[in-house]
Amino acid sequence: MTALPVVPPVAVGKKPRSSRRADRATLQRPNWPVTIILAICTLTVLIPLYVTVSMAFKSTSQAVDGKAFSLPHPFSVEGFKQAWTMTNTPVGLGISAVITAGVVLLTIFLAAFASYAIVSNWDRRFFRYTFFYVLAAMFIPFPVVALPQVRLTGLVHLDNPLGVIILATMFQLAFSVLLFTTFLRSIPHELEESAHIDGATTWQTFWQLIFPLLAPMSATVGIFAFLYAWNDFMMPSLIISNADHQSLPVRQNIFQTQFANNYNVSFASYLMAMAPAVIVYIFTQRWVMSGVTQGAVKG
Amino acid sequence: MAVVAAAALAGTALAGCSASGQQRIVFAFNKREGIPYMQKVVDDYNASQKKVHVVMDTSGIGTTAAGFVRGNPPDLLLANFNNQAARYVTHCATIDLSETAEAKRVRPAVKTLVDGVGECPGRTSAVPYSIMAAGVIYNKQIFARYNLEVPQTYDELIEVCKTLKAHGIIPFYGTFFDSWTVSQGWFDYAAGGSVDLKSFFNGLDAQGTDVGPDSAVSFQKNFLPGMQKMMVLARTYSNADANSRIYGDGNTAMAQGKGAMYLQGPWAFSEIAKTNPKAQLGTFPLPMTNDPKNLKVAVNVDLAAMIPEQSSHQQAAKDFMSYLFQPRIIDAYNASQLGYGPLTDSAAQNDPRVSGVQSYYQSGQMYAGPSYVIPQAIPIPNLAQSMILGADPKGVLAVIDADWARFARRQ
Repeated sequence: MTALPVVPPVAVGKKPRSSRRADRATLQRPNWPVTIILAICTLTVLIPLYVTVSMAFKSTSQAVDGKAFSLPHPFSVEGFKQAWTMTNTPVGLGISAVITAGVVLLTIFLAAFASYAIVSNWDRRFFRYTFFYVLAAMFIPFPVVALPQVRLTGLVHLDNPLGVIILATMFQLAFSVLLFTTFLRSIPHELEESAHIDGATTWQTFWQLIFPLLAPMSATVGIFAFLYAWNDFMMPSLIISNADHQSLPVRQNIFQTQFANNYNVSFASYLMAMAPAVIVYIFTQRWVMSGVTQGAVKG
Repeated sequence: MAVVAAAALAGTALAGCSASGQQRIVFAFNKREGIPYMQKVVDDYNASQKKVHVVMDTSGIGTTAAGFVRGNPPDLLLANFNNQAARYVTHCATIDLSETAEAKRVRPAVKTLVDGVGECPGRTSAVPYSIMAAGVIYNKQIFARYNLEVPQTYDELIEVCKTLKAHGIIPFYGTFFDSWTVSQGWFDYAAGGSVDLKSFFNGLDAQGTDVGPDSAVSFQKNFLPGMQKMMVLARTYSNADANSRIYGDGNTAMAQGKGAMYLQGPWAFSEIAKTNPKAQLGTFPLPMTNDPKNLKVAVNVDLAAMIPEQSSHQQAAKDFMSYLFQPRIIDAYNASQLGYGPLTDSAAQNDPRVSGVQSYYQSGQMYAGPSYVIPQAIPIPNLAQSMILGADPKGVLAVIDADWARFARRQ
């Protein structure tokens, strides 16, 4: 005990400095084991991507020869031509884009509205229970309620892309509200109060103060909604009754048959379906990365 | 957001009502290989008259099922008549077509086959369009090189296998990794070639839930000899790497002449032709007994036409159906898909690749593959695969018996 006052100042003064130096050192020197593991992990993405791209440019006879890793020879765009006409790609892409845009925008706005209302009125029982009710939807996957939904959308004439937008938004709402409410709780209440004191209405407070603050979380919610709506197969395939209004993934179902392999055509089509998502990612990867990790920490 | 929703709505509204008071009927067809041909037929029909506009829907069986649930199914289905599609028929969700000229043209033997898959009492609900007759696909060049004849009996088959093996040729190319290739080929041919399936399934139905080791007919009793022969062919006379080979590998190997025989249906020919369009191939029924009279070919109703009760354009659908069944259209379809015509006036199938089973089809020596007949609640592909990968056939067949009894109790 008596030695303590003498020794600690040295130890305390020294230790943080040395550990800080150590931190900097680890940042500068590459961490080889981790780098190697991550490099191997990237292969799990790069190898399938390589096969997809090379398959798409193969001729039909080369595509079925059982050598997935060979380079296309002869180089052929026949697969793209066939895929383009077979799935009517421009229309399919357009409908997928409409559905995705609708789901992303509706999810962001509705979830933000609901979360703001819930968090500001947390002391009222009605809003608390609403929160639990919305959250409960997370435990009901679409396949469970598929049949009644198919029937219901048919009865109210929503067996079209608009019905898919509404339903997909509803299923996306639970998780999004969870993300928004957790984020909203970290915004100090005083900010809102000061806005009120300056005479802002609730509506103004939301649009001019809260919604801009929510931007990083809106990006996260938007990314999840985008991935879900763009890739979803089951819901559009069951809800949309008119084949001319099917989304692209459902149109691509034509390639999945038991008796025939059309790897070059199907991979060309998959590549075209992936392209918008990949292009969006290339331009927005900074926000995507921060957005996804935000979701991971908060969620 | 509002613009997006409006655009989606407007798009749907436009297509909902078609221009100039035409009737719009939806024609569901999702056989991938046949789509280009059918699209042309539909386009020709639409150009030939003004009353009805046919739209082809290739979205698949899931979408069709959703249509039935919703109450607006396609107006005409031309679908693979398997257990799943047959459920629309057994639940009487499709109209009676017995009065149509097309239904009257169906060969009696084929009608029996269709009714065996599923029927609504008192109705002719499904009119067959294309029949696939499957047997052993064999490489004619390899057979000629070693002076081999097409075997008529099981002993001859074993002799052929021995000769081929002695010359270092793989007798049977197996693709056991894909379970459906095991059930469709190995299991069905072995059972159909050794058991009189019609009386077998009649006997099972008569027994009801009483199916087991002591019952008069059972899988473990009647199927066992055939399965044991199948195991000999699969274990002794197949490629060593069959367990890890998939359907696509088998087609490539057959195209390259790596195997002499292949247990697949005619659908494999177009796949083999992708690698080697000049491969000289033929088909014969797999002999499972030593009596050539027992030779039979496995058939399934590849396509059948059905009109749902809920369709609001039944007459227009019937008219289009008559158009589809015109001899020149149905014959050209079956010629291009290597299928057999189901009608009394159907043209003969002259393609050398499948003509080897023509005589059996014509004389009615055929059976519906048990893997198509047994309800899908019993996972035959997986059970057949476990057998061929080494499980004891007796044990697996006992499992099928128990599953059958359980299924019968639930009905």
